[in-house]
Formats: sequence, structure tokens, C-alpha cells
Amino acid sequence: MIYLDNFRGTMVAPEAWEAMRIVATEQYAVPAPFTQCGTGSAELIEGAQSRLAAAIGASSGEVVFTGSGTEAINIGLLGSVRAQTIDKPEIVTSEIEYPATLAVYRALEKQGYVAHYIGVDGEGRYNLEQLASVLNEHTVLVSLMGVNHMIGTIEPLAEAGEIVAEAARRVGRKIPLHIDFASALQTQRLDVDAVHADLVSFSSNKIHGPKGVGALYVRKGTKIVPISFGADSYSPLVPGTPNTMGIAGFDKALELLYANFDADVEHMKQLRDRLADGIRERVPYILLNGPEGPGRAASHLCYSFLFIEGEAIMMFLDMDGIIVDTGSACAAATLKPNYILMAIGRNHEEAHGSIRFTLSRYTTQEDIDTTLSRLVPIVERLRAQSTIKPPAS
Amino acid sequence: MAIKYTEKVIEHFKNPHNIGVIEDADACATEGSPACGDEITVYLKIDKRTDRIVDVKFQSYGCASNIATGSIITDLAKGKTIDEAEAITWKQAADELGGLPPVKMHCSVLAVDGLRSAIRKYKKEVKGIDYDATLTVDAITRELEHVLWPPVGVDIITLKMVKYIGIEGGAVKVEISAGSDEKYLEPTIDEIFEHVSKIKGVKSVSVDNV
Repeated sequence: MIYLDNFRGTMVAPEAWEAMRIVATEQYAVPAPFTQCGTGSAELIEGAQSRLAAAIGASSGEVVFTGSGTEAINIGLLGSVRAQTIDKPEIVTSEIEYPATLAVYRALEKQGYVAHYIGVDGEGRYNLEQLASVLNEHTVLVSLMGVNHMIGTIEPLAEAGEIVAEAARRVGRKIPLHIDFASALQTQRLDVDAVHADLVSFSSNKIHGPKGVGALYVRKGTKIVPISFGADSYSPLVPGTPNTMGIAGFDKALELLYANFDADVEHMKQLRDRLADGIRERVPYILLNGPEGPGRAASHLCYSFLFIEGEAIMMFLDMDGIIVDTGSACAAATLKPNYILMAIGRNHEEAHGSIRFTLSRYTTQEDIDTTLSRLVPIVERLRAQSTIKPPAS
Repeated sequence: MAIKYTEKVIEHFKNPHNIGVIEDADACATEGSPACGDEITVYLKIDKRTDRIVDVKFQSYGCASNIATGSIITDLAKGKTIDEAEAITWKQAADELGGLPPVKMHCSVLAVDGLRSAIRKYKKEVKGIDYDATLTVDAITRELEHVLWPPVGVDIITLKMVKYIGIEGGAVKVEISAGSDEKYLEPTIDEIFEHVSKIKGVKSVSVDNV
């Protein structure tokens, strides 16, 4: 299998799997005081918190592990707005956020919050002027993302963070800024102070850790209340028995991520460029979705293949053991084209033919060359079958 | 729940039968549009003495199930008289494929629409039989029988989701009851527009979820 859908989820690194096995079968005690095995498990979690905290310029006590990236987003966003008592509260995000963020915002809207969804330019970069214009004394939350999962855009977090911090100074109180860093963690470094983040969510599953684990950074002093309740032996924000096996896997995945970070990113970038060059050279009538060059995550590529439909391309590649994703309406349960592609100005037809390729550090040159050799005839064949033809030159 | 295609769908998608163009077709029709998703064009070669379909081909701008339903519908139509072929239903086409995921049933409807449109064109142009529906509540109801509610793959007439059909001049007003399941509402309204708009005499269409 050639797996080019790493923004959806990744293979668990063998070393992470081994770390999980040890915790599952040997160090399986629930974290508890005093006993050797109980404190051993507690130290395992603290070690993992410290590693993630150190990587993002935070302190260990500011990181909690959650049940997923989506849970981290829910705890961060809901916990933050519920902790504030502001008259006529308003919440701010963008049109192209991850579905979890948008779902929380829609739920809050139903509860009476006024939501502002800022737009993006043709390459998916936030409209920062619009961001500045919607912040006011009613704003209780801003949620943005590090890298867009569909089009690979690296968002201008530092500038956006500065705008939110400036608005906070103007209204004379903190306006909490949440950053969804799940899709960014694989290729971007983060300094929480540099981007003025108060809350940051992460997902283990995007960096070769297991599914079912995420993390939330909560800046010291940020107002937040729990959204679910239970024994708070680990953290009041994440009640219940912590998933030590998953945390051990996430921790090992983080260790591996940063062991060769720059070299791995360069490796993915070179292979991504090889794929992009190959497609550009051999397939006419394509559109790159998202930015070209340094404004794009190194492992990310998304092309629209005009005159044909993406689900058919995806299915043909799947039959050849090549896994990709599409923003086609035909592949969505709702039969709607991908909202992010529509937000950057693509029309239905352009969104229809979109294919997303997302690499990992395990992707090889052979994977890319095989993908290219299969993709080109698939596109040619579907175009020959299509009712829509390229304009006569 | 896993949404997957049957082996037969995959087989027809991989190796579609009757794909291509008939240059000297006796009738051809295109249904759907790139803007709302899929599009299919059906070409017919008809023996004018017997009204039997001697050759049929199709082209598809669409997903795997669109290509597979085009393949199966042309298989079913080949060799049949135009009346027999016109009676083929989207349900038959889907059944022949071993079933389709509910959300993909509209592909089957589109393929059948393509075939029927080509046959009706032939009937009108060659046989002088005008099948174009005149603007009546019945005609609109018949068109709405081709609009499926995506989560279950059953048409909105059978589901009794259509509460009112009004006609004033060329303006058609359709009221549906789709509950609060908003995620399917927009594509379904688009389909209602598409189907009602093609009835002769329709100048405008409005759809309300009541």
C-alpha cells in the first residue's frame, strides 16, 4: 500500500507501538500516589507533558492529554467560553477551519453566541484585516489553525496572534486565542508565546502516534472550566483514567518527530516537489489548490484535475493500492463540494476534480514514482470517457 | 457505518461497457450538469423499422457509481425496443449492480434520465410523438419521483416529503418537509430545481422547507 493520506491519519511508528506495548502489558498501573507502579505511570505522563511543553515553549503543567484532537478542541473552546461571563458574547474563527472547530462554533451559535467566520484569499490565507475588524468588547474567543488540512496553507499565526493581542489591550481584558495545530505539527515548529496562543490543540494520530490521543495546551491563567465530569485523578479538564498506553505512544511519536525534524521535513518536501513536478509535466489542465512554495506545508499537495471527478480518480488509485483523498461532492455523505475549496474561490467543477496527496517521513521516492505512473493513465482514461472535453486549442 | 460499493459496481466502474460516442447517433441526450455534480450523455442507434436499440453508448463526468450505472443501463437497453428501454427504472439498474449506497442512488436516477431523455428525443424528432410534459401538478410530481432523499435513497414523493405543489403562470412553488436534517437539504433542493426546471413551460422554481 502507498499511503498518501497522512493528513487524515498516519501509521503508528514501530517504536511508538513498542512503547505502547510495554505500557499495555507491563507498566499498566493507573497513575496513583505513593506506590512504585502508580507513581511510575504518573511520571510517564509527566514526562510526556514535559516533552510536548518543551517543544512549544510551554511549561509541563500547561499541557493535558485528551482522548483526541477533536476532544482537545471541544475542551479548549467550550471550556473557555463557559468560563467567561461577557454580555452578548461573540466568537471568531475562519471559514476554512477543521470540522470539529466549525461544529463547536455552530453549536455555540445555537446557544446564542454571535459567530464571525473570516474569509481567506485565493490561496487560503486568512483575511487579517477582516479579523481585526470583527474583534470587539464582546469577543470571548478566537480560533485559528496552523496549517489548513485540505489545501496545505501555512496560516500567518504570528500576525493573527498580534492582532488578537492588540484587540485584547484595547478592550482591557484577555481575548483567548485557540490554535488548532493538529495538521501543522508534522511540519511546523510552534512557539506559543510568539503567536500569543492561550489554547492549542494537537492530535497524536497525525504524527505517527496512535489514534484516540490528543493534547491541549492551556496557558497558565487562562480561564477554563471542565466540559465533562468524573474522577479528576489526572486533570479536572480530562476526568477519568488517563490513556497511559496512548500517551506513551504519542510521547514516543513526539520524540521521533523532533529527532530528525528538519531532515524529515526536507525529505517530504523533495518528494512532494517530485510528485508536483511529475504531475505538472505530464498532466495538462490542472489547478493547484493552496499556495505554491514556502507558504505551503512541506508534505502537502492538492490538485484539481479538470473535466473529471475526484472520487473516480480516488477509487482507481485505491484499486492500485494508492490511498489519497478528494474534495469532490461525490465522495461526501452530504453530496456537497469541499467547503474549503469553495472558500478559496473554486467552482463546483474545480472542487469536483480535486485530489489531495499528503506524505509522511516514511514516503519513498519509489512510492511517488509509482503513484505518478498510475495516476497519469487514470486521468487520461477518465478524460477520454468524460462528457466534458478540454477547450479546442 | 461503512459505505462501500458492491463488487459488481467496481467491475462496471473498472471496465465500463458501451463507453464512448456514436458519431451518427439517431438520438443523444445529456442529463445532469457539472455544476451540481455528475453529468451523463447517452447515444442511441435505433433500427427505425423495428424501433429496436441496436447500439448504445455513453460518456460520464462522474464518480464510480455514475460510470457503473451508465454501464449497466446501456447493457439493459441494448437490444430492447425503445418502449421497453424507456420503462427501465433506476431501481432496476441499481438492483442489477447488487445495490448502491443510498447516498449514491441519484447516480442511478441520472443514468435512467439520460437514457429516457434520448429515447424521448427520438420519439419526438423521428416518430412525431411529443412526450414533453405540459405544466401540471402531475407532471411535477412525476419529476419529483426522481429526487431522492440522500440518507435513505428513496424518492421524496414516496417519503411524503412534498407537502405542496403550486403553479401560477410559469412559476412553480414546491414545499417540502425535510425536518432539521440540514446537511441533506441543500443538495436535495438543488435536485428539485434541476428536475422541475426541465419541464416545458416552467419559468421559475421556488422551494421551501416548511
